[in-house]
Amino acid sequence: MTATREQRLEHLQNFLRSIQKPGTPLGSVGIDDSLVDSGLIDSLAIVEIVAYLEETYGLDFAARGIDPETLASMGNILALIAAAGATSATPS
Amino acid sequence: MFLDLKVGALAEPISGRRWAEADVVQEVARRTARFQCQGLAAGDRVFLLFGNRLEFFAELLAIWRLGACAVPVDARLTAFEVSTLIAAASPRLAVVDEATDAAVIAVLSAAGVAAVDTRETGSQEATVGLSRLDDDALILFTSGSTGAPKGVIHTHRSLRARWLSLRDHLGVAAFARSLCLLPTHFGHGLICNSLFPWLAGQDLYITPPFRADILMRLGALVDEHGITFMSSVPSLWRLALKMSRPPQGRTLQRIHCGSAPLSAAVWEDIRAWTGTRQVCNAYGITETGSWVAGLSNADTPAEDGLIGGGWGAVIRILSTSDTSVPLDGSLECAVGDAGFVWLNTPALMKGYFQRDDLTRQAVVDGWFLTGDIGFLDDRGRLVLRGRERDEINRGGMKIYPGDVDAVVERFPGVTDVCTFALDDEMYGQAVGIAVVLNARDDATIRALYRWMTEHLAAHKMPGRWWLVDEIPRTSRDKINRDQVKAACVNEPGLELIRILGASGNTAGNP
Repeated sequence: MTATREQRLEHLQNFLRSIQKPGTPLGSVGIDDSLVDSGLIDSLAIVEIVAYLEETYGLDFAARGIDPETLASMGNILALIAAAGATSATPS
Repeated sequence: MFLDLKVGALAEPISGRRWAEADVVQEVARRTARFQCQGLAAGDRVFLLFGNRLEFFAELLAIWRLGACAVPVDARLTAFEVSTLIAAASPRLAVVDEATDAAVIAVLSAAGVAAVDTRETGSQEATVGLSRLDDDALILFTSGSTGAPKGVIHTHRSLRARWLSLRDHLGVAAFARSLCLLPTHFGHGLICNSLFPWLAGQDLYITPPFRADILMRLGALVDEHGITFMSSVPSLWRLALKMSRPPQGRTLQRIHCGSAPLSAAVWEDIRAWTGTRQVCNAYGITETGSWVAGLSNADTPAEDGLIGGGWGAVIRILSTSDTSVPLDGSLECAVGDAGFVWLNTPALMKGYFQRDDLTRQAVVDGWFLTGDIGFLDDRGRLVLRGRERDEINRGGMKIYPGDVDAVVERFPGVTDVCTFALDDEMYGQAVGIAVVLNARDDATIRALYRWMTEHLAAHKMPGRWWLVDEIPRTSRDKINRDQVKAACVNEPGLELIRILGASGNTAGNP
C-alpha cells in the first residue's frame, strides 16, 4: 500500500523530532518554512535527512545528486518523494 | 619594514566576487589610509569580527602595514563572549560587516571601541610598511571566551617560519588555486589553508565556512574553478562524499585534512572522490602555526592515525607531560612506543596573550607539549593514537568544556556542572552536559537554557543534558569528565525538546 501524503508527513515529522535542536518546537515550523533558517536543525544535519530518504523511500542520491533546495522544507521533501515516484509501502 | 609578500587573486566562488592582484593592492591601500585616519598605530590591536570574505584579507594586510596586530574573532560569538574578549585584549578598533549582531556593536560601543564597517573605505590610499619582524601579528583566541581567554600570539617571524617551512616541504605549484571552506578565525583555515598559498602569490577561493549547501556541490565548485588544493576536516568529508558528485576535471593535486586524523577507509574514499593520491593528514595546532607535520609525498598506503614527518619541526615522543622540569634524552620513547608528542619549531607562538602561566605550562626550553599521544614508526613518521587535551572536537570546531561550565556555573541554582564530549556519527563529537540543580522543575530548566543561549555561541550549546545528584571528583577535587560521561550515557537524558516545547519556547534557538 502506498502511503498518503499525510502519512509521509507524519513519518517525516517523527524523524525530524529525533534529530532536531531542542530550542525550536516542531509545531512552530510551517510545512514550507526552512528547516535550517527556522532553527529546527543544523545545516549539516541535512545529511541525516538524506540517509532517512534513502533508507525509507529508496531514493538514490548518488545517481541524482542533491539540490539543497529540494531538502529545504518539509513541503519540498514531500514533493521530492512524490516526484521520485517513491512506491515503497507505508514507511515503517 | 614592508611585508615583502606577493599576493595572489582573491575570489568568492559563491557570490562570484573576485579581486585581481591589483584590486587587492588598492583595497589594502584604502583600508590602510582609513585606519590611519582612525589613529591606528603600531602595537594596537584590531578585532576582526567577521571572516571568510574578500574584505577580511584586505583588512588583515592593512593592519599589518601599520604595525598593528589583528585579532580575528568567531562571528558566531554572543555579545557576552565578545565583551569577555574585549576586556582581555583591549582592542583599539573593531572591524565589522553587515552581518554583525547589533548586540555585539552595542558592547563595542559600551567598551569605547570604535566599530568600522569593512565596506566603508573611502577613496584615499596609503602605502606604508611599519611592521617589524617580531611585532605581534595575530592573536587567535582558542578558548576562554566565557571566562579567562587564552589567546595564541604569533609574530610576523613565527608566521613566516611556518610559510617558509611549508614552501620548502610542499612547494607552491599544487596550491595554484586553493579553496578554503574552513573558518578564517582559527589557525588551520587562516594561517595555512588561506594565507600560505595566497601570500605566496597563488589564488585563493574563499567560501562561507561549513555550509551544507556548498558541500553538496563541492565537485561542481572544484570543476568550475579548476581548484588544485583544498584543506578540510573529517566531518566535511562525511557530507561531501555522500552528497556531492565527484569532480570530473581532475584538477585537484593535493588535499589536506586536519583537526582529527582520517581513518584509512575514509582516506581511500577521499582519494577515489578527488582523483588524486596526494591526500594526507596535516597535523597542526594553533600554537605551532597550524600544519606542522604530514606527508610531503602522500602517495603511500593509508593508515589509521598516520601523520608523517615534521614540516619545519622536530618531533619527539617523550614519556612525560611534565613541563615543570627540564627535558632530557632519557625520557624519549623507543620507536613504536606511544608517549606524549612534543614539537620544536621556529613557527612556535610567542606565547599566550598575557598568560605567562599558561605558556610555562605548555613550553619547556622551546619544546611545545601538544597534548596528543602518538609514536614514531620505524621510518620516523608520527602516528597519532589519542589526545589528552581537554577539548571537544565538533566537526573540526574546538569547544572547551570549561567555557560551557563557566557559563552554567553562574546560573542561580546550579550547584555543579560538567561538560563532556559525546561520540557523534556526523560531527565526530557532540557536547553533553551533567548538571546539579537545586530545583529540577521544567521552568528552571527552561530558564537555564535561555541563560545559556544568551551567553554561549550556538555551536557550543550542549545537545544532550543529564540532571545528576552530584559530579564525582578526584581526591584533588578535579572533575574526571570521562567518568561523568560514562555515568551518564547509559542513563536517559533530559527530554529537552518536550520541556522547552511545553512553554512554546522559541527564544535563543541554538
